[in-house]
Amino acid sequence: MKGLAPLFLGIFGTFAFSWVGLTVIPNWQIGHLNPQSDEEGTDIYPMPQSGMVQQGARVYAANGCIYCHSEQVRAEYAGADIERKWGDRRSAPRDYIFERPVFLGKMRMGQDLANIGARAPAEQESPSPGGGGSPAGSPAGAAQSPSPSTAQPKTQAAQPPESAAQQQQPATSPATSPAVAGPSTGIASPSPAAAPAAAASPGAPPSAGPPWPEQTAGLPPMYSAAWHHVHLYSPRSINFDSNMPSYRFLYQARRISDARSSDALQLTGSDAAPEGWEIVPSYDAKCLVAYMMALNQSHPLKDVRSTGAAAAASPAASPSPAPGGQPPK
Amino acid sequence: MNPAGIPLKEPSISAAAGDTGQLERALIDASTRVPVLIFYTSAVAWLILGTLFAGFVSFKLHSPDLLSDISFLTWGRVRPAHMNVMVYGWASMAGMGTAIWLMARLCRTVLRYPLLLVAGAGFWNLGVLLGVGGILLGDSTGYQWLEFPSYAAIILFVAYTLVASWAVLMFRFRRGEQIYITQWYLLGAFLWFPWLYAAGQLMLFVVPVQGVLQAAVGWWYANNLLFLWFGAIGLGTAYYMIPKVIGRPVYSYHLATIGFWSYALFSSWTGMQRLVDGPFPAWMVTASIAATILTLIPVATVGLNHHMTMQGYFPLMRYSPTLRFTVFGAMSYTVFSLVGVLISLRSVARYVNFTEASIAYSHLGLYAFFTMVIFGSMYYIVPRLIGREWRYGSLIKLHFWASAYGIGLMTLMLLAGGFLQGSSMENPSLAFSENVETILPYLRGRSLSGILLTASHFIFAYHFGLMLFGLGRKSTVPTFLNPVEAEGAGAH
Repeated sequence: MKGLAPLFLGIFGTFAFSWVGLTVIPNWQIGHLNPQSDEEGTDIYPMPQSGMVQQGARVYAANGCIYCHSEQVRAEYAGADIERKWGDRRSAPRDYIFERPVFLGKMRMGQDLANIGARAPAEQESPSPGGGGSPAGSPAGAAQSPSPSTAQPKTQAAQPPESAAQQQQPATSPATSPAVAGPSTGIASPSPAAAPAAAASPGAPPSAGPPWPEQTAGLPPMYSAAWHHVHLYSPRSINFDSNMPSYRFLYQARRISDARSSDALQLTGSDAAPEGWEIVPSYDAKCLVAYMMALNQSHPLKDVRSTGAAAAASPAASPSPAPGGQPPK
Repeated sequence: MNPAGIPLKEPSISAAAGDTGQLERALIDASTRVPVLIFYTSAVAWLILGTLFAGFVSFKLHSPDLLSDISFLTWGRVRPAHMNVMVYGWASMAGMGTAIWLMARLCRTVLRYPLLLVAGAGFWNLGVLLGVGGILLGDSTGYQWLEFPSYAAIILFVAYTLVASWAVLMFRFRRGEQIYITQWYLLGAFLWFPWLYAAGQLMLFVVPVQGVLQAAVGWWYANNLLFLWFGAIGLGTAYYMIPKVIGRPVYSYHLATIGFWSYALFSSWTGMQRLVDGPFPAWMVTASIAATILTLIPVATVGLNHHMTMQGYFPLMRYSPTLRFTVFGAMSYTVFSLVGVLISLRSVARYVNFTEASIAYSHLGLYAFFTMVIFGSMYYIVPRLIGREWRYGSLIKLHFWASAYGIGLMTLMLLAGGFLQGSSMENPSLAFSENVETILPYLRGRSLSGILLTASHFIFAYHFGLMLFGLGRKSTVPTFLNPVEAEGAGAH
């Protein structure tokens, strides 16, 4: 090849072609999406994230959760994601417009988390994505409902323990606890009221049968905030075969001063804190769980077809009385 | 010609020989000595650190409780630390070292402005150090391949600007009209990287794009880094080393031209195939799948060119370390591309999309292809900088076999494990944890390959250290892998 000019031009030209084609044009096509709403301008989805959820996303990034967990549901024709009940419709670009960074993920050493918040027991389900209308209801709604105007992290920081953690635990009625979607079989604990009894027996690893997703005796209801904390602290107390690392450094052991903190983790067996001590989540751990509880793509999107049969599995899509939930139509 | 038929390297400067060409090359080599050795030494140090991280990451996947109470040793931090140390610490620095030496040689001029390079290497090391420290302390940005926090990224960019401006300056001082194939690739790499890095940083951190497009920009960046930066340096190096060592011109200049331009055009359009079936317009993914398939054109032309050049000279791989590593790398480039095409097809991607198979793909590109080519070039270049020969042929052999078996085993384990993991994931009647059980044996096998690779890197680092301290052999005959046979071959 003679002369530099054609070489330079070619090098720049090929790269510019790729840059325009794969980043600039897509940005023009789907880079400026708005939340959708119904005719009256209500039922807005998605909503901006609260400060605590954003902080949780930073904890998620810092600890590399993305290297094992994806946050995207593939369409029915493309994979078994929907059959695995990871969602009732495929993910769409509009689901992610407020996410930064976006954690689509490239690896599923662990489960997909796109709808992990939607799988929480109805009692403390994340603010249903369309539910910006009535933030006053439950503590969960108050703390996590994204109200863009008053998103001071300070006030929210004071609130979340009630929402994200174990406050509801004593209050959870037996009726709501096994409300998790999916086949609840033998081992399912009838209610968390049985927790103290089961806690006495040293850790009950589910040795028989598929260990996940099933309720383990003596633990908080699956996918509740309290359950996430136990799972993060000691993954193998919930699923013996899990190869998720434990995140104990996000938790603190402290001496019980007067009464057991409402935040304290309900640990069993060898994980349990010694007498007079308790394990409580740090602020980062609470944010991380708040972030996970907010992961919820169950709200229908106009441009994406939801699978009819699976829609029933989604608490937010069904007209169930989700506390923070459905706005008045 | 020595007995084995391998042309000897130029004897250290002896004007008495009367060969001005040799004298000139020796002078050029001497002028590159300090900057290239700085890049190489830093790279080897990062390689060792990255290897330690890698072993830790690999073992923790099947022994998750190992040291998990320590925040900066949690798996999700050490894994990106490993990747970034290898990509920006080892591979980029070693690649730049080789590229600098090749530039000086091919521009046929002594290296000018060495301070630019020394400063560039210093800043680059600082950037990687801060970036890796940041990741371990929990400052990762959360974008794969761009985890370095912004303070580290800016320093890297400054460092890079110094190196790239040096490369452009060198081009101005070049002698001779002809621009050799290697120079196309190197010039491309030096010009593509800053644009790529700047575009990635700008579109993710300065003027962030919305939602899922961040992932698109991220994978566009990652794939282009793999192809237009590492791939270009690797191919350029192979185009120099193979003809040089066997003492024979490249088979076809025309093929090389086709290979280069089709490479630039098609490989830069890949990346989106990694987002297959994700929340994106289908045309983006399809365009990248098509581009991935079209990369078979440069693969075929480059492969054919190297093969025809080597035709009849393959036995020399028994003796020359450089040739053995480089040819292994060049062959791996073909394997890497074929695997890339295979796992990008939608029907296959369905099973391997979210599995270890994509890790296998990255390692094929960055290790089996790029790193092996760079090892080969270091075996060629370092003796010319230091004036000593590698001390032990046996260590080079050990290094080669440990690396080759290590990366081969790792690729097989991760590809097979990935396919099985994916197919059990696609069967919803199996509980999710069955996936993990399916792949655990393969992850243990990968750890075994990690032990081999660790051994090979420590052997190489030790040998390189001997060279640095001037403990190499004083000889004008290069270190052959099978010296006895080499001499025996000369007997008849």
